[in-house]
Amino acid sequence: MPTVDIDPDELRGLTGREEKSDDELKDDLFGLGLEFEGRTEDGEFELEFAPDRLDRLSVEGVARSMRYHYGDSRGVHVPSTNSADWTIEVDDSVPDERPYVTGAVIRDVDLDEEALESLIQLQEKLHATMGRKRAKGAIGIHDLTMLKGRSATDKSEPTIEYVGLEPDEDTFVPLDSDREMTPAEVLEDHQTGQTYADLVSEYERYPAIYDDLGLFSFPPVINGRRTEVSTDSRDLFVEMTGTDQWTIDKMLNIVCYALAARGATLEDVEVEYPDREIVRPDLATKTKTVAHDRIETILGIGLDPEEVIDLAERSGLEAERQESDDGELVYEVTVPPYRVDVLHPLDVIDDLGRAYGFNDLEPTYPDVGTVGGRHERSRLERAARTQLVGLGFEDLLNFHMINEAENYERVDLEPDADVYGAGEPATIKEAYSEDYTMLRTWTMPSLLMVLERNTHRSYPQHLSEIGFTARVDESENTGVGENRHVGAVLASHEAGYEDAKARLQALAENFDVDLETPPTDHPTFIPGRTASVVIDGEEVGVIGEVHPKVLVEHDLEVPVAAFEFDLEALQ
Amino acid sequence: MQLPAQQVAVLEAASADEATSVDALAERADLPPETVTGAAFELEDESLVEIEERVDETVALTEEGAGYAGDALPEVRLYEAALEAGADEEAVQMGRVIGASGLEGAGVDIALSNYARKGYGTIDSGEITADPDADPSADAEANALETLADADEAAVDSVDVDSETLDQLERRGLLERRESTVREIRLTDRAVTELMAGIETAETVGQVTPELITSGEWEDVEFAEYNVEADAEEIGSGKVHVLRQMSERVKDVLVGMGFQEMDGPHVDADFWINDCLFMPQDHPARTHWDRFAMEQPSHIDELPEDLVADVERVHREGLGDDSEGYHSPWDEDFARALALRGHTTSLSTRYLSGTQIGEIEPPARFFSVEKAYRNDTLDATHLLEFYQIEGWVMAEDLSVRDLMGTFEEFYTQFGIEDIQFKPHYNPYTEPSFELFGTHPTTGELIEIGNSGIFREEMLEPLGVDCDVMAWGLALERLAMLTTGAEDIRDLHGTLADLEFLRNAEVTY
Repeated sequence: MPTVDIDPDELRGLTGREEKSDDELKDDLFGLGLEFEGRTEDGEFELEFAPDRLDRLSVEGVARSMRYHYGDSRGVHVPSTNSADWTIEVDDSVPDERPYVTGAVIRDVDLDEEALESLIQLQEKLHATMGRKRAKGAIGIHDLTMLKGRSATDKSEPTIEYVGLEPDEDTFVPLDSDREMTPAEVLEDHQTGQTYADLVSEYERYPAIYDDLGLFSFPPVINGRRTEVSTDSRDLFVEMTGTDQWTIDKMLNIVCYALAARGATLEDVEVEYPDREIVRPDLATKTKTVAHDRIETILGIGLDPEEVIDLAERSGLEAERQESDDGELVYEVTVPPYRVDVLHPLDVIDDLGRAYGFNDLEPTYPDVGTVGGRHERSRLERAARTQLVGLGFEDLLNFHMINEAENYERVDLEPDADVYGAGEPATIKEAYSEDYTMLRTWTMPSLLMVLERNTHRSYPQHLSEIGFTARVDESENTGVGENRHVGAVLASHEAGYEDAKARLQALAENFDVDLETPPTDHPTFIPGRTASVVIDGEEVGVIGEVHPKVLVEHDLEVPVAAFEFDLEALQ
Repeated sequence: MQLPAQQVAVLEAASADEATSVDALAERADLPPETVTGAAFELEDESLVEIEERVDETVALTEEGAGYAGDALPEVRLYEAALEAGADEEAVQMGRVIGASGLEGAGVDIALSNYARKGYGTIDSGEITADPDADPSADAEANALETLADADEAAVDSVDVDSETLDQLERRGLLERRESTVREIRLTDRAVTELMAGIETAETVGQVTPELITSGEWEDVEFAEYNVEADAEEIGSGKVHVLRQMSERVKDVLVGMGFQEMDGPHVDADFWINDCLFMPQDHPARTHWDRFAMEQPSHIDELPEDLVADVERVHREGLGDDSEGYHSPWDEDFARALALRGHTTSLSTRYLSGTQIGEIEPPARFFSVEKAYRNDTLDATHLLEFYQIEGWVMAEDLSVRDLMGTFEEFYTQFGIEDIQFKPHYNPYTEPSFELFGTHPTTGELIEIGNSGIFREEMLEPLGVDCDVMAWGLALERLAMLTTGAEDIRDLHGTLADLEFLRNAEVTY
């Protein structure tokens, strides 16, 4: 799970709770669902967070939640914004793949080292989560004093322009560089450019942002050096581009709330699309209608309306009593604009439960009667396994995944051979490990691998497995035929065909099925000592002495007799 | 007098004039030494023999010592390399000499720490000199190694090495001293008298045979006494795999709590694995490299058309006026892609949808203990394949208290008490909880599962209009907790160590 680094001193300062010890803070944070993982080199708390409350990706957001938790803050607070001075003009040339932009101006911000570090972390964490590694939304923060608004049209207010650019059409000096580069050069030569090149490399035109002085940002890849933010910056221009307006607007809200918490003033920005105009940040609250009855059933307790309203305010929400059309008690709950996780009234109920304290609820056992039972296949598996163990086999549990070499080549089998165990492999895409590239088509290779790894252990080694196998089967809905096989190997100095047959016979007798073993050929086994397993007239497996070339391949120096067949045949 | 055959043999082999060692008696009487020792103690009780005990000290080379005996001591090799490099004339760069000597790793340190001590030369500021008068063939330690190499477990008095050199070799870890008890047996006067009078061998019976039983002969014989305390030969016995035993126990508990078992495909469409769980298609877990996507076959043949439409609608729009969907793309082709299931919740979605065993009416409880797959790095606690315990309860009006009560009941069966519920986030449950329990032996607080009440956005498209609460946890975690296994790879998969499985404790 993702983590966020929080300076405990900053947290004390922003919550106004200077007296809290580090341990008390850790307990309070756990109560919010932020688990203390350890400390960073600088002594900050490393906290693990669940990726729903993205408004807590910075110390400012965590402090806000803590103040609600302590009861120092109640209800919904929306910072005010001054009216727009700046405009973002969106040009027709903007790439179709990344058409959306949003922004805000932040004034009078006091950025000391800690505040700047926190802002950079918030930006990174938002990129990693909501921004889907910048693919869905990317943030650019600029020093406003370094921007020169273009008065491109007849407007008097300053404007920046979001455009699409030919890869080599213009140049700028990107961050962490001291030479002029075109966007295409950035992707080629700049470290950050290489990291994010995949996001835009398929675009015909690259996203770019201009002011009157020229190109200053190449979203979602990198900003220009000219507008870089430092601890001396007092006014900021925040812009975000992305593939979804809602997503970047919400990311912007979270950044605005964090900066407002440090005393900055927010200022609107007009966004002019070719066909419409919007004003951002959009700090409108939303409402959810939550039924009192549903709150009580989910939490399993009775509550007074006053209690519900109190719990809501302590969660940073506001609830107002109302009556629904059919006379039920409901609440109109106001949700602040930094919340991205409230999709449904249920999410409000979860907040109320957290504020109440889930661990204060008394567990009850649900008073509903049902009849339990095993699936038939699992009963059959258990019965067959019990018989095998009674016959002296060590029951194994092998991986279902394997590679082609083990499954086919090392047991001398061709995938398309017309013998038991062969079959077209169900394969894994871009397998992470070359040992696990497909699902095994039979268990014999796994059993031989276990023998191979245990040649230093005492013999006899009688091993069996009732295990999953799979192969491509177009008649199945998923395209994969999944089967359970009964596989067994007998490895010892005297092991022979008869030992395997004796045990197979015992199994057949126990399950009251007819067993025949007509001779057959199978490349894994010695010719003349190999038979088909025919149960109730159907060919369902193979039995024989493993061929010496397969034994040698597995570094085995003792003979191995083996059988394998479909578990279903015992049904 | 009458004595058992083995004791008679020992008496006849022993002498009254001189004490004879157990080994010598064993050879004479053609009996194993332990049998002779046993018989001698019996005879001592009858005052027929006297046993003298002494402790012998023996010396033997360690593996390292034996290596040097064959291959020359590291300092000697260094000296020879130094001579070769002309270090007897003038000091030579040490690195060059070490390289030429072929010494590596710990051997270098050993050579350096003994070189000067034994007068082979000097080592100073990274340079080495060799004393031209030093003589490796007169190296007492080297010679001692050679002497000892031929004598395995030699008595310390019998080897021709001075004790100072032995001490030095022991300090260097090249030699081990061991102590062993030697017993010698001498006949007493009573034994001599009895032997002259004649001792008969008692008629004793070893194996009880069918003839002995049916003939009635058993009435007249004496049964030889066995050493009933001795360990018997080891026999192999089959055993159900430890993890299977754990899975059986979990299944027993769940069936006892009224749960029915589910079964379904391991390779499944992302639709069943994720989309039906209200997981947005751009959720990091769905594109993450830890997912095992299938190459061949790559897409499911058919999905229920209406269900696909309903799932897409909820992903895009949410559920009704007061709900919103994800601001994420949704594509049916993406939903049809096949993967090895990353969790067995795909079984739950199939069952809840009514397509697996028909419509399920509340109340109902279902479970599975089946494999799930994660494309992760293999280590002591993570496997690519693991067993997930999955369970859900369907009923009208379930509360989080019901969920807590169900889990408390379940975990109590495994000795895990004082469950704590940490509010958590899952895309498909709300409220959601991570479950923490106290480790029965270490007292540590550990995560033991993940749970919650399925979201309405998930249930509505599946056609479920009551509440469903669910939870999941890894079987391996429960097994490691209750068996104390430390490396999961010993348990599961083709890396399995048979000895570990053979010796594993049975769980029930």
